Amino acid sequence: MARRVAIVGVGLTKCSSHRRDVTYPELVHEAVSAALADANLKAKDIDAVVYGSMDPFDGVFALERWNVDACVGAGAANMPFLKLTTGGTTGGSTALGGYYHVTSGMFDVVLTVASQRVGETLEAQLVLNTAIDPIYERWMGGGAITVVANQASSHFHYYGTTEEDLAMVAAKNYACALNNPYAHLQRHLTVEDALKMRMLSWPLRLSDCCPSSDGACAIIFASEERAAKITKTPAWVRGKGQITDNYYIGDRPWFQDWDGLTMLAQRVYKEARINNPLQELDVAELYNAFTIQEIIECEALGFCEPGKGAELVRKGVTDMGGELPVCPSGGTLCTNPIGATGLIRIGEAALQVMGKADKRQVPNVKTALGHVWGAAIGFHVLMILDKEKP
Amino acid sequence: MTQEEEILIMPGAWNLPFRHTAGRFASRFFRELRDNKKIFGVRCPECRRVLLPPRPFCERCFASIDEWVEVGNQGTLELFTICYVPFLGLPPPPIATIMVKLDGADGCLSHILGGIDLSDVDKAPELVKIGMRVEAVWRDERKGEIGDIEYFRPVKSSRRA
Amino acid sequence: MPKRVAIVGIGQTKHEESKGHYMYHETDFEAAKRALDDASLSRGDLDTVIASGWDAIDGRTLSDMHTCMAIGGYLKDSSHAGEDGIMALVYAYLRIASGLFDVALVAGHGHREASIDAVTRVVFDPLFTRPAGRNYIITMAMQANSYMHKHGVSKEQAAKVVVKNRANGARNPYAHLDSPVTLEDVLASAPVAYPLKALDCPPESVGGVALILAAEDVVRRITDKPVWIRGIGWAIESYEMGDKDLAEIPSLAAAAQRAYKMAGIRRPLNELDLAEVHEATSFHELMDYEALGFAKPGQGAKLIDEGTTEMGGKLPVNPSGGSLCANLFGASGLVRAAEAALQLRGDAHGRQVAGASLALAHGLSAPSGAAAPTNCVAILERG
Ligand SMILES: [Zn+2]
Repeated sequence: MARRVAIVGVGLTKCSSHRRDVTYPELVHEAVSAALADANLKAKDIDAVVYGSMDPFDGVFALERWNVDACVGAGAANMPFLKLTTGGTTGGSTALGGYYHVTSGMFDVVLTVASQRVGETLEAQLVLNTAIDPIYERWMGGGAITVVANQASSHFHYYGTTEEDLAMVAAKNYACALNNPYAHLQRHLTVEDALKMRMLSWPLRLSDCCPSSDGACAIIFASEERAAKITKTPAWVRGKGQITDNYYIGDRPWFQDWDGLTMLAQRVYKEARINNPLQELDVAELYNAFTIQEIIECEALGFCEPGKGAELVRKGVTDMGGELPVCPSGGTLCTNPIGATGLIRIGEAALQVMGKADKRQVPNVKTALGHVWGAAIGFHVLMILDKEKP
Repeated sequence: MTQEEEILIMPGAWNLPFRHTAGRFASRFFRELRDNKKIFGVRCPECRRVLLPPRPFCERCFASIDEWVEVGNQGTLELFTICYVPFLGLPPPPIATIMVKLDGADGCLSHILGGIDLSDVDKAPELVKIGMRVEAVWRDERKGEIGDIEYFRPVKSSRRA
Repeated sequence: MPKRVAIVGIGQTKHEESKGHYMYHETDFEAAKRALDDASLSRGDLDTVIASGWDAIDGRTLSDMHTCMAIGGYLKDSSHAGEDGIMALVYAYLRIASGLFDVALVAGHGHREASIDAVTRVVFDPLFTRPAGRNYIITMAMQANSYMHKHGVSKEQAAKVVVKNRANGARNPYAHLDSPVTLEDVLASAPVAYPLKALDCPPESVGGVALILAAEDVVRRITDKPVWIRGIGWAIESYEMGDKDLAEIPSLAAAAQRAYKMAGIRRPLNELDLAEVHEATSFHELMDYEALGFAKPGQGAKLIDEGTTEMGGKLPVNPSGGSLCANLFGASGLVRAAEAALQLRGDAHGRQVAGASLALAHGLSAPSGAAAPTNCVAILERG
């Protein structure tokens, strides 16, 4: 078996539509300093750095170079440093990168950092459109919203999900974000308010879609020996993985289901020996960039049968006080600094396990799930964290 | 009250030129659109699926592809949304983006739906339905690009095959 | 204990001026197919794939949507190093050493769809540096000038590197520039950015490269000619060019020291049979000699003067012709590893160093040129 690895420190920045108060390296430094403080470590304790971002939202290409010294002075110290980028899953891929650095046996304490300043671009959808193949498909303006609206219209068609269901998901997440000082959107939203919002791409309204945010996140991974010395509250990695679905979404037009995520969940649950996720998980931080996705993700992750995701929301199963709270942080729906968002999901799951989630803490969390999607709904990352050593 | 410090914003813009290679697969596909108003897919020699858009290999079988198959000008709408907000540099709203499974193809082609008034936000979803039959509308002046098909429109029921 | 890791499959396309008949991701596909064929494996045998390269250079945010499919990643666990392909090799190494994956494929490509000058300009921060007119080759020229000035290296000495590498490249069937040049040709070539002339700079090439890595437990089932990764190290450098002595490459020195320590190498010039280094320019190959410990600081040019690094010399450097003969911007480092591995298997037809058993491969991942370059060194051994 591979080395056991735990998360021993998490650092978040306040996210907003534009962090005009800081330069880019200052924003990254804010996250890194918070993670070091959380783990009570110094820069010299870090053996290697993994950095994630999705070029070019920030208007700076290969922005990790500009930010290299904000990462515990990695440049000046000639540290091992690796940039990973996988679109929306970047933050999740960055966490996996940190994890494998430790399991390799080459490093004991590894800093992972992810950042994005979506607020520096004047049109995020225009950047997202450059992800679309320029030969066949880019001309028609595909971006995240239009792709995801297809998920919603299919789910409505095949399973009878409604705009009210989406509005309930929005209201739940907005309420959670009010407990999260790092969240971008912090305002009260009722189901009635949500249903009056402007239609962006049918059936998605403004409140069904995440904002564009500036923000950064840092997480420190440590080996078993070092974790025990660093913290009394490690969050152990119990299962993890990534799946890569094919690019041409025309090959997989069953948008009402997310079978790529189902396949990955089965692999990761097997590794973590989880049979009934609804009962065995205590909290889940899902990448719900859009309300409909939280519904489909709950289904694909086996919290309920396919087509029954909206029912979970209606019954309050995924509320803060429900059987399996989903996104106590307010989720991606309320905060989305794209390349950093995946690492925030893993970080929020870790904070829940560590008992450090303050006002958004779910009581008595033992096992938490972090989920990330990206790449025209083709990629997923999952990480299961646990209070007990696996 | 302390005076708030002035924070400056530096303007920036990327205008990076690229020349994207279409290669022999996309080139032939676009030539057929331009010269013959025909839509071609490719068939994987192993799983036998007819794939759109044409590509040099099948991701699932990891096999090289060299068989071309003409598919229909008509097909079934499998997915859609109707976009109501303008995005910088992209076509003006409202536009319906669709995935259409052309007759004889196993995968869907990404395109847009036209020939329908989408301006009423409440009524439009009643006019566009998953499973409806659609057909290609060709431009008169074709340039050898995906836009040579101006849009897909609903097939009138009397003309349904 | 970390698992031992070997290279068990090697694939390269011909590197050339253009591949107009290819779609974007076909270079990765061809290289991956060749690597799988070389190892007699199929896509189903792969546990993970790692893509590489810079999205802004490719003009496609999220290029791994295309490239991961092209290298066999469908429904597998993949990732994408936003770096030169050499860093994809690093990541695959970490995954296999963990014992969590048995077989990995890593790939990289070079395209000429963008202006590297324009794209690498916007890697520089928009506040202080970008307005001062920087890009990849300009910073490399500044570095070359700093090195030349500090150590009294001449343009002729740098030109000898070009002559050596172009002569080697003429024997490499994969090379893009496959004709020899003379010292006079180099010195008479058009000025690019002082002190660099056109022939001091690598070309821009289109092509792909892929390697298959495997864990020790499965290696002998795949090949009887494995190439073991005995040591590996990588390091980054400060972004602020004003804060450092540009006449040296501390990130390369740090990477080499880590790799040498892991492989138990004390005197690289004596112990290594060949080196494939990723020379950003002709001057940089001389700087690389010093950072890699082949020569003392300021003494790199002596090796080229004395013929030490020629084919037939004590330590042949770049038998393939190096980046000066074929340069996939985003995978030239991974090509170095592929070429070194071919040498150790005895498969470097036409450019073979006789009896090679220990080789060094160096990759440079430097979107920002001499500002914050990452250097990686791998020590490879014939199995
Ligand atoms: Zn097939």
